[in-house]
Formats: sequence, C-alpha cells, structure tokens
Amino acid sequence: MNLFIDKLSKWSRSQRNRNLIYQIIFLVFIGFFVNYLIAKASLLELTLNHFNSRAGFGISHTFLIDYSSNNDRWSAYFTGVINTIRVCLVAIVLATLIGTLMGVARLSKNILFSTIAFLYVEILRNTPLLIQIIFWQIIFLKLPRISEALTLGSTVVISNRGILLPSARAAESNSSNIFLYIILLAIILAFGISYYLNKKEDINGMKLKLFNIGLNGNLTGTLIFFIISVFTYYILQKPYIIDLPSLYQNSKGTFLQSGGFEFSPEFGAILFSLVIYTGTFITEIVRGSIQSLPKGQTEAALSLGLSNYQTMTNIILPQALRSIIPPLTNQFLNLTKNSSLAVVIAYPELFMVSRTIMNNSGRALPVFFLILFTYLSLSLFISVFMNLINRRVTRIGT
Amino acid sequence: MRKSKLFLLFLSVMSLTLILACSSETEVKEVVKEVEVMVESPSTLKTVQDRGTLKCGVNDNLTGFGVLTSSGAFEGFDIDYCKAVAAAIFGDASKVEYVPLTASARFEALGSGEIDLLIRNTTWTASRDRDLANDFTATTFYDGQGMMVYADSGYQTIEDMDGATVCVLQGTTTELNLDDRFMSAGLKYTPLTFETNDPLQAAFEEKRCDGWTTDKSGLASKRAEFPASAGGPDSLVVLAETLSKEPLGPLTRDNDSKFYDVVQWVVFGLIQAEESGITSSNVAAMAASPKDPGMARLLGVPYSGGEVSDFQFGVDPTFIQHAIKAVGNYGEIYEKHLSPLGLTRAGSLNALWTDGGLVYAPPFR
Repeated sequence: MNLFIDKLSKWSRSQRNRNLIYQIIFLVFIGFFVNYLIAKASLLELTLNHFNSRAGFGISHTFLIDYSSNNDRWSAYFTGVINTIRVCLVAIVLATLIGTLMGVARLSKNILFSTIAFLYVEILRNTPLLIQIIFWQIIFLKLPRISEALTLGSTVVISNRGILLPSARAAESNSSNIFLYIILLAIILAFGISYYLNKKEDINGMKLKLFNIGLNGNLTGTLIFFIISVFTYYILQKPYIIDLPSLYQNSKGTFLQSGGFEFSPEFGAILFSLVIYTGTFITEIVRGSIQSLPKGQTEAALSLGLSNYQTMTNIILPQALRSIIPPLTNQFLNLTKNSSLAVVIAYPELFMVSRTIMNNSGRALPVFFLILFTYLSLSLFISVFMNLINRRVTRIGT
Repeated sequence: MRKSKLFLLFLSVMSLTLILACSSETEVKEVVKEVEVMVESPSTLKTVQDRGTLKCGVNDNLTGFGVLTSSGAFEGFDIDYCKAVAAAIFGDASKVEYVPLTASARFEALGSGEIDLLIRNTTWTASRDRDLANDFTATTFYDGQGMMVYADSGYQTIEDMDGATVCVLQGTTTELNLDDRFMSAGLKYTPLTFETNDPLQAAFEEKRCDGWTTDKSGLASKRAEFPASAGGPDSLVVLAETLSKEPLGPLTRDNDSKFYDVVQWVVFGLIQAEESGITSSNVAAMAASPKDPGMARLLGVPYSGGEVSDFQFGVDPTFIQHAIKAVGNYGEIYEKHLSPLGLTRAGSLNALWTDGGLVYAPPFR
C-alpha cells in the first residue's frame, strides 16, 4: 500500500502527468454538461414536422417558386429564402459598383466629385439603416397612385403599387425548359470557344479566319451564342412570349395592374437602402486600399503616358483589389444579415416568413434554429466564394 | 505554478456550476410546484384589496376602446370596464392603475402578475384559453374581422375584390382568415403583411393597398381618426361582411376564481342593469326604492324592508350599484365610446338579447 502511494506521489510530481489528470477531469465535466444539454433539449419538441402542414397565408412577392397558401410551410419558407437571396444578390452587385465609383471619386482632384463622395459617406454612413429603409419606403409610396399611374404605351406601368416592365413568360408548350437548357449549353460552348481562340491567339498570334475576315475569340463566342439561341427559339416554335404589363379597370371602375416583371416599392425600398448604406462602407474600403498603394505607382503610370482613366483601371484598381476583397467580404456578409430588417416594410424575406410560421405554429425554437442555419449557410457561401476570388486575385499579383 | 493554480480555480468553479446544474433538474420541478402553490393561495381579489388599487392592462392606442388622451387620462370602452371593476371592489372608480400593453406583451404581463386584469380588446379563442395561463371572463363586445376600402373604389363585397392588394398585420389570425376567405371564393389577391400598424397605415393612405383588414371595431376606430389630409373618415367604408368571429372581453389569471367571479359578474351586472332600465343617473333612486325583488338583488339593497341578499362575492353586496354609478350600464358605455366611431348597435350582435342581439346576462339569483 505504501508502495502504491509512494509511486503515485512520484508520478504526480511531474507537471506533465498532473496536466493529464486535469485534462481528464475537465473532459469528464464537459461530457456531463453536454449530456445535460442534450437531456434538456430532448424534452422540447425540436422537429420541423409542422413544416409539412398547409401554410395558410399568402405571400406578396413570389419569385421562381409558384407559391400559394395551399402549399406547405416549406415552400412558404423557400419563397422567403429566395426573396432574401434575390434582394441580396442585386444589392451586392450595385453596392460594389457604387462603392467603387464613390471610392475613386473621393480621391478625385475634382472638388465637386470628391465633395459629393465625402458627403455621401459621412451622411449615409452615420444614420441608422432602419431609418433609411423607412425613408425609402415613404419615397416609393410617393410614386403616382394607381388611378394616376404613368404608362409608356403598353410597355411600362409606373405606380406606387409597383413598376411593371415587359418580361418573358413561358408559353403553354413544354419546350420552354428545353430552350433554357439549350441556352445554357450555348453559353458554355460560347465561353469555351472564345477561351480556346483567345489562348491560341496569345500563343501564335493567329486569328481564326473565316471568309478572309479575322475573328477574335470574343466575337466568335458571341456570334455562336446568338446563332444558336435564335435558331432554337424558332425551331421550338417560340417557347417564350413577351409578357406586357397592363393597367386596367375592373367592373367597379377601380384600377388594377398586372403582368410583366414587377419592381415593387417594398423591394425597391430595401434594395436602395441596402445598396446605399453598404455602398458608403465599400467607398471607404476602396479609398483606403487605393491610398495604401505607393504613390510611385500612379506617378510611374502617368509618366508612361497613360491617361488618368487608364491609370485607374489598369494600374491602381487591380493592385488595390488585393486589399479590398477581404474587408469587402465583411460588407457583403453585413448586407445579407441586414436584409432581415425588411420585415418592417412588408417585404416578405426569410425572417418575416419564418416569423409568421412561428406565430402560426407556436413552435419558436426549431424555427429559430432553421433561420440561424439558413443565414449561416448564406454567409458561409458568400465567404467561400469571396475567398476563391481573393485567392485568384492575390495569386495573379505575385 | 501560478498557471496551474488558476487552472485549478477554474476547474473548481466549473465543477461547482455543473454539479448545481445537474442536481437542479429535480429541484426545479419542486420549486415550480412551490411557486404555483404560492401563486394559487392568495386570491388576486385579496391582493388588490390590500394594495388599494387595481392594476389594469389596457390598450393606449385604439380610439373608442382604450386610448391615452392628450390630457393624460385613459378613455374608452375597455377603460370603463377597469373603472367598473375598481368601483365594485373599492367603491371608487379612480383607484385604477392603467398599464398600457402591446399585443404581444399582454399575456405575459397578466401571467407574471404585473397586472391583475387584462382588458385590451383580446379575442377569446380556444388556444388562448387553453395554452396561456389565463381565463376569459365574459364577452363585452362581439367583434368580427372586417374589410375597409376606399369609398370611391366601388367595392361592396369581398367578391368584388378579385386581384386587389390587401394590407394586414403579420402573424395575426386576421392574416389567416383573409387567406381562407379569398381562397374559398377563388379570388386572387396580394397580401401586404406589415409588422406594425404605423407603416401599414402609411401604405394604406398612399393607396398602396385596396383594402385594410382587421377587427371591425379596430377598423371603425382607425376610420374615425383617419387624417383629413388623406381624405378623412368619409372617404372610407367598412364592408358589411364579417370574415370571422372575434369576441372580446376581460381576462384574469388561471385558477383565480374569486377575482374571476367578481369581474365576470360586474360585466353581467352592467348588462342586467341595462335590461332592467337602471342608468347611472337613476341608480340612486332605484336603490332607494327598487321596483322588484330582482332589482333589489342586483343592487344589493333590501326589498320593501326585507333582508339584503348577499351573494358572498367577497366584496360589498352593493358592488353592482357602485359600478353603475361609476360608468353607467352596458348601453351607456357603448353609446359613450363606440357609437361615435360609427359602430351602430341596433341590429348588431351587441344589441341586448331582448332586441335580437347576443348581449345576455345570467340571472342574479
């Protein structure tokens, strides 16, 4: 017995062995804790079975999914997800454009441009996004009322119910899907051919010659795409027809509008506010990245005889891009998460639709997990995508 | 050495937390039981009497039902019921502490004991009665979901509204009823679902939507205060059709029968008063010389020198008398607050049962 205690005390004198004991004890406690959490959670009903039941409520903006209240809650949910993705995608593209333009303008020697960019950033960055969203909603509601709607022939209807534009609509026949697939193939083909021809031209400086006319890759690709799509369109007997918006009066004399592609005031308000608000941050990112480049770059480019525009697009921006992209990713993520504020102006995005489901079903916790998971997936997708771009940009630089 | 000490400290704190957390599973249940027993035992009636004021959860933004006026006083149909209950308990209608509540916070406020009584245009439904820790006492107003449109739109029925855009509040039963109605009629519509009322009204004023749907009383109230700049009340009509049943009334906490009974019978008493023709102006005369034994029982006074019949509600037997004195009978309250909104009583569900309505009180016997 004495021997055992002796051995144990000797064994535990080593720091390494004692650490091992602490770690084991720690692990055991973590195990208990996790077990406790699981036991607690199992008491709650965490399944999403109720998502299979009838939704029972209408959604004002449906895109891609043909939703009706008779569908289950999953399709209501995905309608919301698509609405979120739709507004975020458009907003990310526009915010990047505005941010880049304003970022360059901020450094412009032209006082008018730089002052406009300065005011834009300082005013709009420092007011809450929620207030900007409501502001834009009010602006859009001030469009003409439907009884006084503006029309451009029968192609455009503008009222505060929405701006309707002509769009394409699948005809009754089943060939519309085939047409889409062929168009997709044509795009891939066109890109492939133009890539191949450009590469060939880079290597041996030879252009493809057709009837003695030299064709470069881009032109050939565009031509191929154009020819294929026009031919298929007629071969498949016009799978898509033009959907013109209409403004009409019903039997009671009340004006209604329908048809075409709808740009609604709610979508407009959330889009504008997200673009303009996020644009201010992107402006600052672009400005900072440009300023972080050595001044010699600009001077060298100008002394080589490049114009201001060429200097910016060929020398400065490509280099600045390397330090722009990581913080830009943050802004894209912020934008996506901020889109949940659309709930106040009746734009049915992911968060709003799920809250309605939550209210109707009374099961908040699993729905919340689903919302968190969806936003997480969207954010991770953006991160991965931006990291790919980042890797490409940094590699080209070296 | 210091590092390992810190680590030990961390470990011991960790383990203490865990031990507490693990062992508490059974204890929590016991504590919950104890709390339940504690909540059950003293009646809210006793608590209110000891405190000297009645805490009444109300709406502060619905003209006619409960609104905070510019002078700082609460006013409305629901507010008068708070006053009536306070008058019944204390003999003084001013002993009410009003607690303005939002729709989402109201049930928790009642369940947690923040308020004693909830009178905030709340619809009586099976799920609310069953799931939430409260009881509906009686119906003070028979409401129903309605549809408000602009008068110049020419809409007269829901059937006319094919293709219309309708503004509605998110997550309400109204949103679901709306869809049921349009679906069953095979009509297309676009719901514009708002989280709160203010942006909804802003959109409706700009004619972003053709219709606005919520409880008819709510519509009447919103219509009455519709700004003149947007056309004023006369530019709007509430369609005759009722989309759903929405009975409104006061709520008390679950298992609180003494207080529940007082509130319920104050509601019934004011209805009975109207039926018997007792008003706030003639109640004193009626109490001095009741016309029949039934009236004497209602007012808690002796009939031709006999004994007083006390129903043992735990309050003064003359409690109905005090309530009538304070706010008048059902008809008076209705006339004062709801008639100005354009909610006609005659021919509606809210007429007395003798006039073909649903307003009916069980006998005071």
